[in-house]
Amino acid sequence: MTPATVQAPSKKKTPSGARELPGAYTGKLLRVDLTKKKCWAESWGPDDMRELIGGVGLGAMILYRETATRGGKGNVSWDHPDNRLILATGPMAGLPAWGSSGLTVVTIGAGTNGPTSTQANGFFGTNLKYSGYDAIVVQGQSRDWVYLYINDDVVQLRDAKFLVGKDTWQTQDALHEATGLAGHQLSVYSIGPAGESLVRFAAIQGDYGHVASKNGCGAVMGRKKLKAVAIVRGTKSLRAADARGLVQAADDIGFDLRTDPSAKSLYEYGTLPGVVNLSRLGALPIKNYTTNVPSIDMSQWEAPKLREGFDHRGHQCSACGMHHCHMSVIRKGDHKGSIVDEPEYEGWSGAGWAIGAVSDVDGVAWLNTELDKACLDVNEFGWICGWVMECQEKGYITEAQLGFRLTWGDIKGAARLIQMISRRQGFGDLLAEGVKRAAEKLGSPAKDCAIYTERGAAPRGHDHRARWDEMLDTCTSGTGTLESGVPVHPTEVGQPARINTFDGEAVAKFIAGIRGRRNFEDSLGMCIFTTRTRLENLCRALNAATGWDVTVPETVRFGRRTAAILRVVSLRSGHTPDLERPSTRYGSTPVDGPAKGQAVGEQWEKMVDTWYREVGYDRKTGKPLPATLKALGLDWLARDLWGKKA
Amino acid sequence: MTMPATTTNVLRIHPEKCTGCLRCELACSYMQTGAFHPAKSVIRVSPFEGHTSYAPYTCTQCAEGWCMTACPVGAITINAAGAKDVLDDTCVGCKLCTIACPYGTMFYDPDTRKAFKCNLCGGAPACAEACPTAAITYEATATADWLGEFARERTARVLVGAR
Repeated sequence: MTPATVQAPSKKKTPSGARELPGAYTGKLLRVDLTKKKCWAESWGPDDMRELIGGVGLGAMILYRETATRGGKGNVSWDHPDNRLILATGPMAGLPAWGSSGLTVVTIGAGTNGPTSTQANGFFGTNLKYSGYDAIVVQGQSRDWVYLYINDDVVQLRDAKFLVGKDTWQTQDALHEATGLAGHQLSVYSIGPAGESLVRFAAIQGDYGHVASKNGCGAVMGRKKLKAVAIVRGTKSLRAADARGLVQAADDIGFDLRTDPSAKSLYEYGTLPGVVNLSRLGALPIKNYTTNVPSIDMSQWEAPKLREGFDHRGHQCSACGMHHCHMSVIRKGDHKGSIVDEPEYEGWSGAGWAIGAVSDVDGVAWLNTELDKACLDVNEFGWICGWVMECQEKGYITEAQLGFRLTWGDIKGAARLIQMISRRQGFGDLLAEGVKRAAEKLGSPAKDCAIYTERGAAPRGHDHRARWDEMLDTCTSGTGTLESGVPVHPTEVGQPARINTFDGEAVAKFIAGIRGRRNFEDSLGMCIFTTRTRLENLCRALNAATGWDVTVPETVRFGRRTAAILRVVSLRSGHTPDLERPSTRYGSTPVDGPAKGQAVGEQWEKMVDTWYREVGYDRKTGKPLPATLKALGLDWLARDLWGKKA
Repeated sequence: MTMPATTTNVLRIHPEKCTGCLRCELACSYMQTGAFHPAKSVIRVSPFEGHTSYAPYTCTQCAEGWCMTACPVGAITINAAGAKDVLDDTCVGCKLCTIACPYGTMFYDPDTRKAFKCNLCGGAPACAEACPTAAITYEATATADWLGEFARERTARVLVGAR
């Protein structure tokens, strides 16, 4: 692999600041330098807004421009003061479309030491926009623990000594108390002990249960000694170019979400139906990928039954009508009376099925919230805990090494593991390095049981041996997690409605074909679930908000442009194409269940070859080809990347 | 608190349905100011029982009309929808109404230097239209204390970890 040779684009500003801003934007980025203890507002203009939109689009460009080293040949590492932690909203944030308070975290993550884009919701975006900022860009490293306080034009880095050691919920409680603000009047995104201890899969958690979980973004916050960001619900206003049109488009999106088969179950039960549905496809990961046959009657996992088991209350994100996020009170068992965030599918999977906890739903719900409080990514925790359980069963990790016996489904033991990892105690110190590094340290045969990508990313909570599209996407992604999937209305972008999911070539063409939509959605400041409508509706909402005339083809083009920029940052970070493959277990063949015998490993190389050809990247170097970049309007990037050859 | 029965439409609050999404505040502020500006919404959402329950509250258009009684310049009138409404041209911004209102639903806008309150959007309340869970409805019913029992129930229990 030849490292990509890139240079930052000219820092000369587009002279657009004087023109009128599009609707929906505040026009300001909040810059924070933790080393110099300085905060300042930076204007950005209409041309940049149209080009970058917000969220991952904005974040990718800031990473590209500001994290390069060696004249653009390398990239700063995740723990370097020059790494940027971008907490971005988007144009739709704060407006009345459902689920429009999105937070997109973009940074060089601690898991892969490469670019990351990971989302959460709650009230971050709304509170930030009404305070007058479209995004926060954090650089530098503080010497002492601080938290960032934002109340309109009052922006302060405050002493966070009193918060150190607190978990994320305690941190939010303490900040509500310190400011005298209740409920959504104060949005708090923070790290718990795992972030403070620089665990490589530490997440950023906020507003009691919303998590930007991927690629160790919480460790980045910890390394910068930024304990929390606390944003008062600001007193400024947002203008939409066509407010009536925006409300109309938002209502149409709401109608789609309530009635469209691809979104209806999400509207009613959030991601809960995933457990039963995915088990039927062999895509529910059970006991660290050792089986795909549930050992119990699945009817108790049907969504209505699962939800009825708890005293649950709606806990929606800003302006959202989905019956998705809930707080639950546990009715029985060891944790009776505890308030928990109702687990998403990923929680039931990572804190439940992946570790063999298949019956004690109260215990799984409690464990899932313990992970949020510690700020650990539930997916990677599932893979690491399940791996330790399997290795203990097989004698690859001894009781003496771990310090206790951890068997399948042991909730109390898993909770103990959370404490050990998040405080780096004993064997937990090794596990805190994430699945890949821990597995490589122990070597085979333990290593062969571990689920990870060779870049060091943790897959989401599915058994991707029955979802090859997501395995391919996870391994080739520039975001540290899924970058193109999950498909929504694929026919709208010229792809087939259905494909043979075990035909590697068809899978590769499909995942390359839908590329772009996800990055567009993650730039809007909306939730992944409330964008499960037609792109046409999203365009109408965006255009009404901003006054633009964005078309469906333009959304895909925009997303692919963002993906290409992230790919270059990824290459700068040393992510060579030979690392784009699953670990031995992750890419193994299911031994039972609905996908038994379907061998992704046999088709892997061909699949990746096809994907490269379809997206227009160079298979050998991993670089987007000059023609691809030029077609996307990225001539400057083609010149940076290929020099005169472009 | 018992209110006399009324035959006009009122904003009925169903607190158990509220999920705390605050969409009502966005809609209200748009109707009141022409921009999305929740700080100027005249419907507000209160959290209960830590962060697990929410309920909107706004002017009940109470029969007593304390704001009207207190206003020294007669700036508060009753509009066609039966709502107490502030006449901007008459209001002198003395804030007496905000002190007189026992429900905390009279507001003062430092930008315009006028009092402002829920006027039922002239008979088509935007909050009820915007609420995605029908926690706010606009219907002909007697006014009542919509939140009292809910608040009592949701604050009486001691939950582990609740504040």
